[in-house]
Amino acid sequence: MNESCYKTFKDLPKEHLLGTGTAMCAGCGGLEALHEIYDILGEKTVFINAAGCMTLLSIYPYTPFRGSWLYTSMASAPAGAQGVRDAMDILLAKGRISEAEEMETVVLTGDGAAYGMGLSATSGAIERNLNFFYLCYDNEGYGNTGQQTSGATPHAARTATHSGMHGYPGFKKDLFAIWAAHDPCYVATVVGAEPLDLARKIEQAKSLSGPRLILALAPCPTGWDFAPQETVQIGKLAVQCGVWPLKEYRDGRVVHTQVPKIRVPVEDYLKRQGRFAHLFEPQRNETLLREIQGRIDAYWARVEQEGLLESEDG
Amino acid sequence: MLTGNGAAAWGARLAGIDYLPAFPITPQTEIIETLARWIDSGELDARFVTLESEHSMITAAGAAAAAGVRVFSATSSQGLLYGMEMLYTVAGWRSPFVLVNVSRGLASPITLEPDHNDILAARNSGFLQLHCTTCQEVVDGVLLAYRIAEDKRVRLPVIVNLDGFYLSFTREPVDLPGTDQVARFLPPFDALNQGFRAGIPFNQAVAVLDGSTYSYFRYQAHLAALNAENVLAESADAFAELCGRRYAALEAYRCDDAEVVFVMMGSFATKAKAAVDRLRASGQPVGLLRPFMLRPFPGTAFRKALADKRGVAVIDQNLAPGLGGALYTELAAHLHGQAADTPVLVSFIGGLGGRDISQEEFCEMVNITRQAADVDQPPPPRLLYTASELRAIKKMQTIAMQQGGEQRR
Amino acid sequence: MKTASRILGTAFFKKGYQVQDAPRYGAERRGAPIFAYVRAAHDKIFERGIIRDPSLVVVADETLVQMPAAGVLQGICGATVMLIHSRVTADAWQNRLHLSNPLYILTPDEEEDEQIDWRSLGVKCAAAAARLCGVIPWVTFSSALREEMGGLPAAVVKETLAHARRAYDRMESDQGCVHAVPPIPTRPCATPDWVDLPFEDARTSAPAIHQAMTSEAVKTGLWRTLRPLINRDQCKGCAWICSTYCPDGAILVNAEGLPQIDYDHCKGCLVCVAQCPSHAIETATEGERNS
Repeated sequence: MNESCYKTFKDLPKEHLLGTGTAMCAGCGGLEALHEIYDILGEKTVFINAAGCMTLLSIYPYTPFRGSWLYTSMASAPAGAQGVRDAMDILLAKGRISEAEEMETVVLTGDGAAYGMGLSATSGAIERNLNFFYLCYDNEGYGNTGQQTSGATPHAARTATHSGMHGYPGFKKDLFAIWAAHDPCYVATVVGAEPLDLARKIEQAKSLSGPRLILALAPCPTGWDFAPQETVQIGKLAVQCGVWPLKEYRDGRVVHTQVPKIRVPVEDYLKRQGRFAHLFEPQRNETLLREIQGRIDAYWARVEQEGLLESEDG
Repeated sequence: MLTGNGAAAWGARLAGIDYLPAFPITPQTEIIETLARWIDSGELDARFVTLESEHSMITAAGAAAAAGVRVFSATSSQGLLYGMEMLYTVAGWRSPFVLVNVSRGLASPITLEPDHNDILAARNSGFLQLHCTTCQEVVDGVLLAYRIAEDKRVRLPVIVNLDGFYLSFTREPVDLPGTDQVARFLPPFDALNQGFRAGIPFNQAVAVLDGSTYSYFRYQAHLAALNAENVLAESADAFAELCGRRYAALEAYRCDDAEVVFVMMGSFATKAKAAVDRLRASGQPVGLLRPFMLRPFPGTAFRKALADKRGVAVIDQNLAPGLGGALYTELAAHLHGQAADTPVLVSFIGGLGGRDISQEEFCEMVNITRQAADVDQPPPPRLLYTASELRAIKKMQTIAMQQGGEQRR
Repeated sequence: MKTASRILGTAFFKKGYQVQDAPRYGAERRGAPIFAYVRAAHDKIFERGIIRDPSLVVVADETLVQMPAAGVLQGICGATVMLIHSRVTADAWQNRLHLSNPLYILTPDEEEDEQIDWRSLGVKCAAAAARLCGVIPWVTFSSALREEMGGLPAAVVKETLAHARRAYDRMESDQGCVHAVPPIPTRPCATPDWVDLPFEDARTSAPAIHQAMTSEAVKTGLWRTLRPLINRDQCKGCAWICSTYCPDGAILVNAEGLPQIDYDHCKGCLVCVAQCPSHAIETATEGERNS
């Protein structure tokens, strides 16, 4: 384990590299994660984007990036990263660009593409050991089109396509496990509300070479139905109630980087979001609430049993 | 002696490609296997990568070209259609590279032999198109394609099409241009100061949310495509000087005093040439017009070539259900409203899924076209199909649709 | 806005008009301009899309008028009536905009001194618009409102009706000032200024941006309805927590290590207010109590 240079809040970057003036919603948890990550990754990056909310970061003639950007399609951003990375390697090998001109390729994708349509391309890229960075901002639904259910939607959440009294009957896909099963160089979950944990992970990922995948929970005021100013609080609660474990996969094992000592009841997290309001009004849905809490408890029990609870210093 | 696939591989090798994103599909797989072998042995200094689908393959190809390297790829039919979204996209990026399509009939029903439905499905994507009739044309076509694609006045990707089986797996004598000839014909890839480099912001393919702005970009791609006809003419001059073979957007075979001409594309156009020779030997003035370049559509060349002709037999090896043949439709549109003596156009559809077109059929098409010219009235489009073929399918149907009778339990 | 246009559209429909109503979203984003169009006529309506020479333009969010990208004044002609929800007077608006169009103001309710109720704003504007058109009696408007808002709880509908009624009544003296605009003459027909688009090289004519951070020219500060204000006395210069948490990066840290809000771009999400450990950031209504 390397010593991180991010020990306290004061170590976090105070210069923010991502430009303002973008069309993301006020209070966008995804944008918060992106700008924290961009501060550390820096401008020697080319962002390869898959269709989603963040496609609208760059609308002609406006872009917030200092470096480069390529919008591809919904399904094939990792393939775009493959093309750019390979081309840069070719140009370097043939002496047509210098090492100082080289850039990191970063796939930027929402959960809609990452959990679904883009999974094949992601799998292929990891399998080919592509040297790239992959950032998924997960707002648990197809956000840009109005928050329809996606592969990332959690059990019982109400969405535009599951608006009944029980919400979505399915369960959130475990994308972290799917990625980890490919044995890539590095996988981590982060959330903008925990910037120190995030910074250490990005720093770690930056130091490595190969497929590095980051899954960032993106609390979404528009899609989850809460006031924008709650974005950070909800992100913190997601971690504190254990529904969003902060963990890494590297060197063949899973390590939890921040473990809530006493887990807050998941209700405290759910009741602040309109998409779960039907679990409390007009009356409490005890069955679903118990089910949700039960699954979280089971996860942490299993994690403790498998000895995956070791956390980083600090 | 080289197969069409071998010729395609040689075209890429001579062009000094840097990058080959690939995905296998019959009948093009031999192309990427050949190139991969050369890369492994060091005969070709390029990078090979297998993507997990054609949609990803075309994405990678366009992205690498946008990043500043010379890219080659190959596909066919189902693969071309799987990547269709990205054909439009990378053309809109103005990413110059060459994609070889080995044409093959489209599902459903799934088949392996060639026709032109696949390549023609891509004709509105923004990719330029060259259509080869011989293995020689494949090598030359790939080289011409790079020069056209990378020209400042164009900067669009190009598909070079060759028919599956009849060219891809058929060997013909091919004269390979020498490396020094190619070096003089095709300059090194010029990224035109674009690409992903630290310190130079380049935000490519951004979103556009209003119609006026969007229209500008689409119109510009169209203007660039139109430029390609002149660029082909210039490139063909340079090529002829170096290698002695001359290409044009529209090839005219024995058309000078022809009354009736065939219009046809692809490998079967040589069969039309054979028909022309036989008919002329028996005293009938017949010729063939063969588009080598389909996008941009060589409308002016067609109008000129058809000005003094009486009848045109357009043979489409493609079929749009509910419409008919694409070549016929596009040609008719370009001739409409021209001089009073526009020739009569007759539409024939054949060769689907590799179905042969016999010499008797070519002869009969000429007869029908001449008759149509005499009465200045074309008959309805004819789907080429014989009585014996009908009997054959009926026989198959008695097996497929067997009713009653003994059934094994 | 969409609901507002539908209420108005339905109201006209109930009065026997041919109607066409449609929203036009700006990038499906909260905070970006949303338009809605309503066409109402006795004859069948064949025109579509952007309304050229509208009879009435209703502006619910007055800050949009300053945003060129919002195109509020796009396509208006001399006869277009303007209705703006604002505390600023009609004369002041006419001076600001250099327009001689008939301009009416829908003033906010007294209760809205502190904060505008955005949810009912659209409906209030629709009610005011209906009164100005002069052909929609209250009973028709309220019936249309109930139809379009049918999915909502009865209490909400009742409250919205009350808001709408007040707005409807407020426009009494200007009833019927909106008329159909005469059609565009065909003789003489103005010639469109068509050009033969010249070819431009791919570097120029591909959809690519060759500059960094051009987005900063977009003043997303105009999205704000509430403004965060840092109380310098209480700010401890903690470690720039607010600056890190600001999703838009609109809080800068100056040379002294103290946060500064970029009001050109702050969207007013108030995450900084919620997260400041010293509770040193206060909230003010935009347009009032500027610091």
